[in-house]
Amino acid sequence: MRRLSWVALVMVVGVALVVGTRDDGGAPTRDERAQSLAERFRCPTCKGQSVADSDAPASEFIRDEIDRQLGEGRSDDEIEAYLVSRYGSSVLLTPPRSGIAALVWVVPVAALVLASAGLVVAFRRWGRSWVPT
Amino acid sequence: MVVVALVAVLATRDPAGTRLGRSPLLGKVAPVLAGESIVAGTDDFDLAHQEGRWVVVNFFATWCVPCQEEHDDLVTLAADHAAADDLAVVSVVFSDTAANVSAYFADRGGSWPVIDDPQGQVITDWGVTGVPESFVVDGRGYVRAKVVGGITVERLEQLLVDLASGG
Repeated sequence: MRRLSWVALVMVVGVALVVGTRDDGGAPTRDERAQSLAERFRCPTCKGQSVADSDAPASEFIRDEIDRQLGEGRSDDEIEAYLVSRYGSSVLLTPPRSGIAALVWVVPVAALVLASAGLVVAFRRWGRSWVPT
Repeated sequence: MVVVALVAVLATRDPAGTRLGRSPLLGKVAPVLAGESIVAGTDDFDLAHQEGRWVVVNFFATWCVPCQEEHDDLVTLAADHAAADDLAVVSVVFSDTAANVSAYFADRGGSWPVIDDPQGQVITDWGVTGVPESFVVDGRGYVRAKVVGGITVERLEQLLVDLASGG
């Protein structure tokens, strides 16, 4: 009975994950792509705001440029490459996964792995040296 | 004595916030910049036709105080190089109206081309984030420096000397 409950729980979680992550179907509209792109770029003159959220003139111009390039049939990657070539990689709200900026992604994972390994080693040592009284 | 020294330092330093800026465009061929000038009596402009002379590409707005402060220096700079014809100034309007700009130039002087950019295409092409910002383009069409904040004649002349000597 207990095992059955676990199987049911795993199935419910699995189905929820599949439903939650599945594509809604259909290609995004131009407006959706423009919004999604604007959310990926940092407002060049604000602190911590995306181009989508900012009313600064520079952000408005970037939104216009995104819309213009979408109208010309450019891909999201092409538009991102264009903006990085003009404003630098600091315009990206999410750091790139290559080059020196990739350290932002690699360092936390490496730190987690090293910390976990350290804990395993420490627990083993404690386990060997622990004597019940 | 301290006050006198402080005033002397403040009076002789560059305008607040002026600095050389970073840009992915530095060392690269300048983006296309061409268009009709919106200021009466000035010629249309095409960066591709400026071979052999320095070009100062100045992004400005009439409502921007540091832009107003640097305007006289731009007038002087353009006049100082007019005879030698070794430097051109061109301005690009940042979030302002053509009417404001025409009145501004009529009032304050300045006889260099001014390109309007209501859609911001030139502004994003040059990666401009605010005003004033100026780019120095060399005689081969390469972007050599970006100045963030108001410029002065002295600072820009020194910058040109440094750039000419490979600095």
